[in-house]
Amino acid sequence: MSRRTGSALFALLVAFAAAAAEDVQVSARTDADEVALDGTLNLTITATVSSKGDQAELSLPDLKDFDVVSRSQSEQVAFTFVNGAPTFRRTTVTTVKLAPRREGQLAIEAARVTYKGRAYTTQRLSIRALPPGQSPAPKARAQAPPPPDRFAEDAITDPFQDVHPQSRDLVLRASIDRERPFVGQQISYSLYLLARVNVSGIDKLQLPRLDGFWSEEIEAPQQLVGEARIIDGVPYRAFLLRKRALFPLRAGKVQIDPAEVEVMTGFGMLFSRSSTRRSSQPLTLEVQPLPETHKPDGFDAGNVGSWTLTASVDPVAVAVGQPVTFKLVAQGRGNVRNLALPKLGQIPGLRSYDATSNDKEAIEQGQVTGMRTVEQLLVPERTGAIEIPSLSMDLFDPAQKAYRTVRTGPIRLEVHAAPASAAIGSQAQAQNLLAAGGLRPIRLRMTRASVAPPPWTRGWFWPLLATGPLAVALVAGTGRLRRLLARDPAEERVKKARSAARARLRGAETLLDEQRRGNASASDFHAEVARALTGYLTDKQGIAAAGMTREELGRALLERGHPPGTVRAVLAVLDECDRARFAPGGADLTSQEARLERAGRLLGELDKVRRGA
Amino acid sequence: MRRVALAALCAASAAQAGVSVPPEARGNALFDQANAAYLSGETSRAVAGYEALLEEGLASPELETNLGAAYLRQGKRGLSALHLERALFLDPSDDDARADLLEVRRGNVDKLEGEAEDGGAEALARALAPLPGPAAAVALVALWSLGWGLLGANVLRPRTALGTSAIACFLLAGAAALVTVGSAAAHRLTLRRAVVVAQAAPAREGPSDRAASHFEVHEGTALRIEDEDQGFRRVKLANGLTGWVPATAVEPVVPPGWSNQRRL
Repeated sequence: MSRRTGSALFALLVAFAAAAAEDVQVSARTDADEVALDGTLNLTITATVSSKGDQAELSLPDLKDFDVVSRSQSEQVAFTFVNGAPTFRRTTVTTVKLAPRREGQLAIEAARVTYKGRAYTTQRLSIRALPPGQSPAPKARAQAPPPPDRFAEDAITDPFQDVHPQSRDLVLRASIDRERPFVGQQISYSLYLLARVNVSGIDKLQLPRLDGFWSEEIEAPQQLVGEARIIDGVPYRAFLLRKRALFPLRAGKVQIDPAEVEVMTGFGMLFSRSSTRRSSQPLTLEVQPLPETHKPDGFDAGNVGSWTLTASVDPVAVAVGQPVTFKLVAQGRGNVRNLALPKLGQIPGLRSYDATSNDKEAIEQGQVTGMRTVEQLLVPERTGAIEIPSLSMDLFDPAQKAYRTVRTGPIRLEVHAAPASAAIGSQAQAQNLLAAGGLRPIRLRMTRASVAPPPWTRGWFWPLLATGPLAVALVAGTGRLRRLLARDPAEERVKKARSAARARLRGAETLLDEQRRGNASASDFHAEVARALTGYLTDKQGIAAAGMTREELGRALLERGHPPGTVRAVLAVLDECDRARFAPGGADLTSQEARLERAGRLLGELDKVRRGA
Repeated sequence: MRRVALAALCAASAAQAGVSVPPEARGNALFDQANAAYLSGETSRAVAGYEALLEEGLASPELETNLGAAYLRQGKRGLSALHLERALFLDPSDDDARADLLEVRRGNVDKLEGEAEDGGAEALARALAPLPGPAAAVALVALWSLGWGLLGANVLRPRTALGTSAIACFLLAGAAALVTVGSAAAHRLTLRRAVVVAQAAPAREGPSDRAASHFEVHEGTALRIEDEDQGFRRVKLANGLTGWVPATAVEPVVPPGWSNQRRL
């Protein structure tokens, strides 16, 4: 019972310790142990937690001996399936650039990381600060151990494992370290010469065309250095001739043609020396497309590899209008030339300029590594805190055969007001510089100003403006009304005489039309024409034509100054009308029309004289 | 505090004089004492004296100019700009106030970028401010009424002289109307004008301390008040930037006591 309990407790403790150990990992390191007083060093604090959502909270150590020049933070979440269960690893890397404040032995105290209520601390670091200008002695930098080659998971480790040279002395062997790579995943193409005779040199090495790959040289030995290998029980020397990194550009079956080389054997002048041409075997590989499962929307096919993303701003506190540099760095393994980095969008309060990009490549342990640095100038346009948001990049990690997202942390930029120009109390350096500006002397006499509302806001203003037009309108209206009320009927008749005569002539014209239809007689027509003329003469000229003889009427018209021709014509028309009225049948329609026209013309002539008088 | 200062100054003046002095003379005496304090470098005392006179309801361009200068000596750019703006409102032809205001603005933290959104209406208002608006308004009423009177007389008893005089009156009234309209426009804009008196104030998206802030305004910056709500004022800068700032952070150029008109 006790043994079983003890074993269970021990297993529980071990499991708990293992879980705790795996739950949170924190570390701190610097990139140098010595730094000049006018130099800087980088403190990197790494916290890794097994969580998708929870974040570890970092409290920077007490940096009393250093000034913080800049600070940046990056975050990476890795997702894998272990035994069918999803596992998340969130790694937060905080990089702080420090400048020493004094010379001597300085300490960086332990940083504190809090995760789920528990605190974890890093180790204390010791830094030696040298006098300004003195360069630190070259020493091994405190670097993290190189990461394991995760790409080697399905790699072919021995390039000669399926080589059977049989009785051949010279074999040119081409090999690749992976036969089913993903698009964009690095494979290594190696070309070896296996020899069991002495090889004095090679010539005319022809590598195959590597269509469908982006390739990068890894090794190109200038001298033949052999390595002893036992193949099928026979000792050989293996010479590496070339090693290249290949990145497949498209999916599908790809064949790499044979390479060729001319091999010189023998020992120079004294021994027989011969030249032999050898070809390697062709290689076939199956390039897999990137998996569609869990593929992020808008994924860029060039983002393949193992990459980290960091962002920083320098400086983090600045006056408004002063530029800061935003730096985005992607670093890792893969083809850096194909990377598509996230872009910094428009940030309110920040004016951004075009970004510049710089790529660097290197070969580390046979793997192509790269670093892309994007720098962008930002100019704050307002004061206060401005947050540069987190940037994220989706990538496909061939080692884990999974997509993951790397992202930077948000960066807080403190923008303060630019110092105002010290206009008051400043002393000019030049002699008697009489520049404009400065405060005017105060005033010694005080006057009272009126702060009464302006007239146009007073109640009386607009009514007063309206009074004038209203008064004039009233006067004019009253006068007109008075004239209307004081109108003489006789005078009114005189004024309307002409229009009345015209109305009668229009009536005669209507009667004429009626005659054409047989509804009226010629006597009615002539009676109307005669009424028009005699009515006009009565109303307008004051001549009672109806009670006068033709002679009396003629005299009266002449006395009023009418031309004799007009008088005769008036009398003639009246006579014709009388004749037509009292002796019907003598007038046709044509003569009636002519008479009507003449009567109208005579009215006009009679009116002229009246007006002239 | 200011009333105490005023009482002390009054008592000192009365004691020195030994007689009761009329309010105007007493005000002048206080003004002289505040000026003396300013000239001797005691700007705090000078400010207290000037402010005491203002609290008495005195409106004077010289008083506002001197108070603006005193505040500037104290480094209070916002209050300085406010009182210099008030001096210009009372007397738009005050060159001293205008020069001092330029001096204040030279040191302003906020530099506006972008074209004026109101198409230079603010500048136009500044240009129109010196126009004799009230006098022109009175002249407008007089000439307009006289013109209509002459026209009415001409209607009753037509005379060439009456018609000609009426036309002349209407022409002059038109000129007076132009001046009045310009002055009224400038006056209307000035009623909404304000100055930031707080050292810095966040301009928020809404009338709440919890609303997001996209920019800050700093003391001395002139702006326009567009609305008021819940202890906040909606302000607009000349380049169109708009936000809500705490009401205490900005002061209108024309204080409520100077105008009974609605501001908004």
